[in-house]
Amino acid sequence: MINKLNKTLGVSAIALGLLATTALRAAESVKVGVLHSLSGTMAISETSLRDVLLFTFDEINAKGGVLGIKIEPVVVDGASNWPLFAEKAKQLLEQDKVSVTFGCWTSVSRKSVLPVFEKDNGLLFYPVQYEGEELSKNIFYTAEAVGQQATPGVDYLLNELGKKKFYLLGSDYVYPRTTNLVLKEYLTSKGIPESSIIEKYTPFGHTDYQQIVAEIKQFGASGDAAVVSTLNGDTNVPFFRELANAGIKSEDIPVISFSVSEDEFRGLPTKDLVGHLGAWSYFMSVDTPANDKFKKNFFAWLEKSTVPGIEKKGRVTNSPMVLSYVGVYLWKAAVEKAGTFEVDAVRAALESGVTFDGPGGKVTMQKNHHITKNVYVGETLADGQFKILKSYEGVYGEPFLKGTFGSK
Amino acid sequence: MSVPAKLSDVEPRFFTRAQWASFLLPTLLLALVLPLLNALLPSEHLLRPSDFTLNLYGKYATYAVLALGVDLLWGFLGILSLGQALFFALGGYAFGMHLLLMIGKDGQYKSKLPDYMVFLGYKALPVHWQPFYSFSFATCAVLVIPALIAFVFGWLAFRSRIKGVYLSILTQALTYAAALLFFRNDFGFGGNNGFTDFKRVLGADLNSPTTRRVLYVSSVLLLAGVFLLYRWLTRAKFGHLLQAIRDGENRVLFSGYATASYKLFVFVLVAAITGIAGALYVPQVGIINPSEMTPEKSLEAVVWVAVGGRGTLLGPVLGAFFVNALKSWATRSVPELWLYIIGGLFIVVVLFLPGGLISLPARFRLLWARYRSRASRPDSSTFFQQP
Amino acid sequence: MIRSLLIVLYGFVLGSGLARSSESVPVVASGRAQLLDALLTPPARQIAAVRALIGVEDAAITPALTAWRAGELYLVPLPNGALVPATLATAPDGGDFLVAISVLDGLPVPDSASGVGSAHPLRIVPKSLKSLETTATLRRAIRDVLEVAGVADASPSVRYESIERLGQSRKAEHLPLLQARLAIEKTPAVSRALADAIAFIQLSDSSPTVRLVAIAALGEAHSLAAASRFKELLAATPPPSSEEVAALSAALKKIESHWKTVNFFGDLFRGLSAGSVLLLIALGLAITFGLMGVINMAHGELMVVGAYSTFVTQNLFVSALGTASPFLNLYFIAALPAAFFSAALVGLALERGVIQFLYKRPLESLLATWGVSLALQQTFRLIFGPANVQINAPSWLQGSAAFHDVLFAYNRLFVIGFAALVVFGVWLVLNRTSLGLLVRAVMQNRQMASCIGVRATRVNMLTFAFGSGLAGLAGACLSQLGNVGPSMGQLHIIDSFMVVVSGGVGNILGSVAASLGIGTVDQLLQPLLGAVMGKILVLFAIILFLQWRPGGLFPTRSRSLD
Repeated sequence: MINKLNKTLGVSAIALGLLATTALRAAESVKVGVLHSLSGTMAISETSLRDVLLFTFDEINAKGGVLGIKIEPVVVDGASNWPLFAEKAKQLLEQDKVSVTFGCWTSVSRKSVLPVFEKDNGLLFYPVQYEGEELSKNIFYTAEAVGQQATPGVDYLLNELGKKKFYLLGSDYVYPRTTNLVLKEYLTSKGIPESSIIEKYTPFGHTDYQQIVAEIKQFGASGDAAVVSTLNGDTNVPFFRELANAGIKSEDIPVISFSVSEDEFRGLPTKDLVGHLGAWSYFMSVDTPANDKFKKNFFAWLEKSTVPGIEKKGRVTNSPMVLSYVGVYLWKAAVEKAGTFEVDAVRAALESGVTFDGPGGKVTMQKNHHITKNVYVGETLADGQFKILKSYEGVYGEPFLKGTFGSK
Repeated sequence: MSVPAKLSDVEPRFFTRAQWASFLLPTLLLALVLPLLNALLPSEHLLRPSDFTLNLYGKYATYAVLALGVDLLWGFLGILSLGQALFFALGGYAFGMHLLLMIGKDGQYKSKLPDYMVFLGYKALPVHWQPFYSFSFATCAVLVIPALIAFVFGWLAFRSRIKGVYLSILTQALTYAAALLFFRNDFGFGGNNGFTDFKRVLGADLNSPTTRRVLYVSSVLLLAGVFLLYRWLTRAKFGHLLQAIRDGENRVLFSGYATASYKLFVFVLVAAITGIAGALYVPQVGIINPSEMTPEKSLEAVVWVAVGGRGTLLGPVLGAFFVNALKSWATRSVPELWLYIIGGLFIVVVLFLPGGLISLPARFRLLWARYRSRASRPDSSTFFQQP
Repeated sequence: MIRSLLIVLYGFVLGSGLARSSESVPVVASGRAQLLDALLTPPARQIAAVRALIGVEDAAITPALTAWRAGELYLVPLPNGALVPATLATAPDGGDFLVAISVLDGLPVPDSASGVGSAHPLRIVPKSLKSLETTATLRRAIRDVLEVAGVADASPSVRYESIERLGQSRKAEHLPLLQARLAIEKTPAVSRALADAIAFIQLSDSSPTVRLVAIAALGEAHSLAAASRFKELLAATPPPSSEEVAALSAALKKIESHWKTVNFFGDLFRGLSAGSVLLLIALGLAITFGLMGVINMAHGELMVVGAYSTFVTQNLFVSALGTASPFLNLYFIAALPAAFFSAALVGLALERGVIQFLYKRPLESLLATWGVSLALQQTFRLIFGPANVQINAPSWLQGSAAFHDVLFAYNRLFVIGFAALVVFGVWLVLNRTSLGLLVRAVMQNRQMASCIGVRATRVNMLTFAFGSGLAGLAGACLSQLGNVGPSMGQLHIIDSFMVVVSGGVGNILGSVAASLGIGTVDQLLQPLLGAVMGKILVLFAIILFLQWRPGGLFPTRSRSLD
């Protein structure tokens, strides 16, 4: 009896699935949202993500699409304007009825669209290192959580370089604040006294780092200090210029930056950064066949691309780009596993743990919407690449780290 | 002793019958018909405005109130304030504090404190947050806080007779400094992230279509009410005085009017009303953060006024709806060109259409009249063709 | 796999190394044998073997260990099974192959397949070898060896750093080495470092008198590293003797008061330099806004034009001269006029296209130029891409000079000097040339000037172009201090308006005083209040100041009321 019921249920489920697929196939394409800032202050970073997303869709479409259906991207511009992000998210979900959205860079843009995705039950893939402390059933965080970037980076300073004093410098917003809170707990649990940790914040677009650098120089005179920088993109140029001019070398006081990737190096005087450190879940210099293939295909695609205003020369790949790329493939895998584009089914498939061999190594979606991935610590070379110094394999993504080290 | 003339003899009437009709018609359409259609028609019906559209119009309506304030100050009083976004945002923040507290324990951490306070390590709610549990206190704060800031700043500025460009730059500096202050996490208002993820207002779920319709209708009604209020202000003798101050402050001063007090009054009034608009804006867009009070936002509001038509009241409303609708469209359809469109629009309007969009019909009439008058002189063209 | 090979080879070297030396193969010096041993021994013994190299004098040790630590040392297998430790370099004849340079003799490893004594170097396919691995503890051991070796290095800067590190290691075993070096050291800076390092190690000496002398010496030397060590010692349990506590506190006080003075003068210099940056940015505005009354919101974008011209000039130099040319450093000199003229040209177009219609409507010029600024930003984005562009500072603008421990960065010194020069130039143009006379005439009364035959339109045009050119110069200078990208202009626009307004519109001297004042106050407040609060306070102070003196520092006197 139960067997029979199961059978009927199974058959009807397959029938429903078929129906759904045919209905969608009639549409010939599945709409996918791309929600990044293409103008305004954040365009500097986010435009690259749009490019890599369009490339990924083309790559998938060239191989027959997802479930045999072509992806049709809907690109919208959040214009670095947070209420506009919410409006655009609504537009994508309610008017364009996209199956999934890839987008957002800043924490505030994610916070702005989160209620929209929860209300309309959409799916958002978020690709940029972030502060954690959040878990929405409608967002999948391919991003590096604090434990997948900051703590391995600091581990390197502690264990490999034997540093004992830490200058935590960040832009004044939620990612550096939270990261530094976690790091302080972490460092204290490793026996670093509170008095050896300095925490400093500068506003966005700060241009004058004379004071800070003078302070760092005196702080690091004892030779066992390091700077942990969560300065955001733009402000790194004046900071590193000032640092180099003050004669601070990476051997004396190394700086580990969590917001500077290969893409940012294009606008930085890399000479001034040589030897300073970075930690990401992907470096362009990762030496694997998967990465070689990814880079080759992406650059070939760029050559031929007809997207208006797209930059073709001097392009690089970096972690947020790869995490966007990985996000699309994880979604594809989940859709194929679920056999439908329907959000709840795709979410269930994602939560069941799909994997993908990405350019930065194998990634696995966890039940908590974060992904297990490799983490690399590298040092900057003069040509704007990282030399990998240490890799940590299969690091688990844990968004709620605060308070987990304190009780030691 | 002569019998004083009735006001209507001295002043033009508040509204002519035709004007009443043209005011009431769109108001009814926006405030009654659209929400009814949205509520009653099935979701796929052609005539049904979507929830998204209503929400968008609601947002535009609050923007229009902001624009009306800019226009009353700039178009009628000659004060180009680049700090109006500050008052808008302050109203938004005041109401946002209430909304944030109303989330209660439904936040990420299931704590009574707002999320950001939890992970920044607050132990208890700061004292100045306590009264914001009360809806009526928050509503008062929405009015009083912007008004108070406007009063202090205006009192200082108008007393020392700062005007024109100087005042513009000072108001810009004021809003810039305030934005920097709010961006600081230490200031205690959520820093760059501001407030988000509101759940309910007055016990009603913010995500439910009904609440959204109510918010939308309130925004439209606020706009209509503010329009009438400003219309009344600018029509009466008071309004003439404002324009006199704009055109020659010293003469008005020497005629025995305390011009500074008039300016201060309007400045404070507009700040309070702009604050209400901000308060209605926040639950509709779902976020308030310091970038709402940057100088660029104020400049944008000035642009709506200029595009619509400065010195008229209908113009700014049109401008706010038109520019924002353009923005919504362009950022979806031609993201790369959006800045060119908006930048070009300002230049064109300032250079070639100083009266704004609202002056277009008159311009066309003028052109048409010229064309007609030329056309009605058939001889002149044929005359020269004679050998 | 590699490990087992190494073990085999280890045996091979030990077993046959001596035998080989008797076979008229070049005699391996004992230092080199030890080095080879350290490289080839199994990992378990490696750390001890590396440590054994401490103090061993051999020219091959430093380069070999440096390469090893950096992960650039390879073991190149020879056909006979031996391994040669070597670094890889591109072959002189080009191609896809690499050649191995043996770290033992610094010569290319010969290709023995083509006969013994062959001149042909061994060719290696890239990526076919894996570099010799290290671990953190091993790298630390290597560092210890290198530091000791560095004390006798030929380069003073290497000596200086090695000595500093040895001092901080506080190991008594290094004392004889340092003292021996002190006797023969000739460079004064290195001698001072040696004395400091010796004193630092002697802080842990067993004899109290030695300790007291060391404490006093470090106090005299104003050593910051010592200050933090002193604090540790003072807080230590059991506490040091009362005599020592007194000495420590006195020395600490001396060091701290010295650095307080240093920081004060440092703040003044930083204030001067921040003020000069403000001045450079505001000077163009002082002309277009102050003299002409045009509120140019696109002023920041004119700066960006200057900055991008610098970028383009740099790229032209690189493509014309190649990356290695010493003349590359001169690009910045060429970039200055380029920045001036390109920004002036854009300004000229702006004046002709938009602003000339708006001289009577200053508030509306604000809106139109804001539109221009948005369009320009998007244009930059389309031409140069949304990302920042990379500008490398010429070598003569890098680094800094220290004077009594106060650092003077060269690029900051340059900006200060350049700002002074530009102010002087502007003053010359306005007050000592006939153009300046015309400018002042037109700015004071446009109609009257036109009546007496001044071509006001032309003067307007040129004045605006001049002001824009100054913005371009500011942009070129900023490219040496901060980032260059499409929206960099927005960062400075409000500050520069504040400078002009608080200095007094229409008065260049006012702008100079205001920018230097604002810069210095900002830098002095920063250490006390942090970067943001300092700036906010300065803004509020300016607002209040203008309530008190609405005309700014140097108001223009006029009888007209409106």
